[in-house]
Amino acid sequence: MRPPRLFRTTPFRLTLLFLALFAAAASAFLAYIYLATAGEVTRRADAGVSREMQSLEAVYRRGGFAALNQSVIERSSADRALLYLLMDKAGAPISGSIAASPVHDFEGDRDWASFVLTQTDVDGGVVKRPARGLQERMPGGELMFVGADVGESESYVVRILRALWGAGALVIVLGLAGGLLVSRNVRRNIGSLTDVIEAARGGDLGARAAVRGTGDEYDELASGLNDMLARLERSIGGLRHAGDAIAHDLRSPLTRLRARLEVAMIEADAGRADPKLALHQALDDADGVLRTFAAVLAIARLEAAGDAPSQTVFDPGALAADMAELYEPLCEEKGLEFKAELVPALSLKGNREFIAQALANILDNAVKYTPAGGAVMLRVRRRSSGDVEISVTDTGPGVPESDRGRVVERFVRLENSRNEPGVGLGLSLVAAVARAHRGHLELAEGPGALDGTGPGLRVALVLPKVG
Amino acid sequence: MRLLIVEDDLEAAEAMVKGLAEAGHECKTAPDGGAGLAAASADRFDVLVVDRMMPRIDGVTMVERLRAGGDQTPVLFLSALGEITDRVAGLKAGGDDYLVKPYALAELIARVEALARRRETGSVQTLLRVGDLEMDLIGREVRRAGREIDLQPREFQLLEFLMRNAGQSVTRTMLLEKVWEYHFDPQTNVIDVHISRLRSKIDKGFDKPMLQTVRGAGYRLEA
Repeated sequence: MRPPRLFRTTPFRLTLLFLALFAAAASAFLAYIYLATAGEVTRRADAGVSREMQSLEAVYRRGGFAALNQSVIERSSADRALLYLLMDKAGAPISGSIAASPVHDFEGDRDWASFVLTQTDVDGGVVKRPARGLQERMPGGELMFVGADVGESESYVVRILRALWGAGALVIVLGLAGGLLVSRNVRRNIGSLTDVIEAARGGDLGARAAVRGTGDEYDELASGLNDMLARLERSIGGLRHAGDAIAHDLRSPLTRLRARLEVAMIEADAGRADPKLALHQALDDADGVLRTFAAVLAIARLEAAGDAPSQTVFDPGALAADMAELYEPLCEEKGLEFKAELVPALSLKGNREFIAQALANILDNAVKYTPAGGAVMLRVRRRSSGDVEISVTDTGPGVPESDRGRVVERFVRLENSRNEPGVGLGLSLVAAVARAHRGHLELAEGPGALDGTGPGLRVALVLPKVG
Repeated sequence: MRLLIVEDDLEAAEAMVKGLAEAGHECKTAPDGGAGLAAASADRFDVLVVDRMMPRIDGVTMVERLRAGGDQTPVLFLSALGEITDRVAGLKAGGDDYLVKPYALAELIARVEALARRRETGSVQTLLRVGDLEMDLIGREVRRAGREIDLQPREFQLLEFLMRNAGQSVTRTMLLEKVWEYHFDPQTNVIDVHISRLRSKIDKGFDKPMLQTVRGAGYRLEA
């Protein structure tokens, strides 16, 4: 049989562990107290016994055996706590308060002994009490025993011990109760997270854990989990969407391609037309499909990678200057004014190749959509937040505000870009590059309507500062 | 020239052989890295075209072993993996160029020829000459028929690449890769504009145009 769930929780196990540790420490403590107290009691009794023995010896030295015997008789009859026994040289009792010496096998002149004193109390019951005593040979050869009843002191020690054990038991009971309470609390908090994970495992990626706003570790865990689920949801949603989009955007040109080839074959069979033209068109179709495919793949790989791979620190101004040099003649050819405003010596951490590709896509779009006589402006600057902004502003028709959010979403433009596969995907790829660098893509109106053109578009790739 | 094509997709290999034969090259094929190694050591080739992903011994391993054995025949990697890291891994293994699948046949031919040419002119040159066009690589000067032509730094690099591959087609992607060092496919005709600028400088005022457009492939500098 397995123990109830509550007892299997980590906090409960930790409680048990701590209780065990505490019990071990408490036992060691008790043992120390016992040894110290008991030792003290014995030492005190021994000291009292030694003093009495010295005084009896003094009596013997002063008055000899008779005086000692007299003194032992007196002391024994007086209500003293000590026990006395005077014996002759052979150990036969002469006088005292006990009948026989508890010291057996006496050798030498002096010997300590611990023993049990059996007494009858007032009610006639037999009481056994621990005692200690010292036996010595007097200068004349007689034996003298002095003992002390240590029962009183020992029972005191026992009482202390009992109290300590009681306290220990109480601590254990309270500790267990506390452990159960903590476990229940933890289980309640973790339980809601476990429910969310269970739901996610069941396919419901929309499930979110409650964040209570206390900012404690459960909240951190919950918001981390929520963040992860959101990313996963976006990723999987993107894949689903990408699947549809790829099907749509690749199936149409492939169908066209297939039809063209089929017709060309029929016509060639009939000897009516030269298949060369059809082949050229088919090649163009195939190239279009491959381009779309490459873009979709690049976006998907970027999304899957999380953070962009192979990141280095580089100067975005230098990169932009390079791209400006590449695109400037194209603008000129199209009758566009090209300007670049690049703040030098900024630094940016990222995959240079991806960022170059993103910037090329933005510039491609700007050149493609801006009519002759317009202008394209490339700018690199640092925002007050420290983020690096790489922006391209054109004087083309722009994108209506209501569509700007959608354009940045992945694959959205695919649906509308039947004839220009590169375009919508271009910005999707830029957005994916931005996300892979923990930055974002901003679309805004350009310089405004002017001489029948505009209002233009401003596309900004905003990337977080280094460090 | 003689080429060895190491490719496990036999149909793709066959198409390549046809295309390259059409361009006047003699090809042998090998279906995997082991066979490729054997063929490369048994025979002399001008360029090896090696697929990266093959069963048993893959392309990278094959080229690593080839290079370890001292064989310096130029290698063009073909790969479905086009990420920059994949490219770097291929070049590190000893590849000389990297072409991502799917590719246009014209692109493959242009790159193979460029590799073979680079091998021929292995020695360090300080003066390039194509017809009456001269380029002094140390003095950074270009003359055509003795008349000095003023070029921007990038135009100089562009012309240098074209001159080193004179008589052969070079594609737009090759130019973007080798002159600008970018590995993406621009949607616009950025490269064409640079070429036409260069053309206006080296061909204007001369009877014979040297910088020619090759339909479906790219450009060619002809003496």
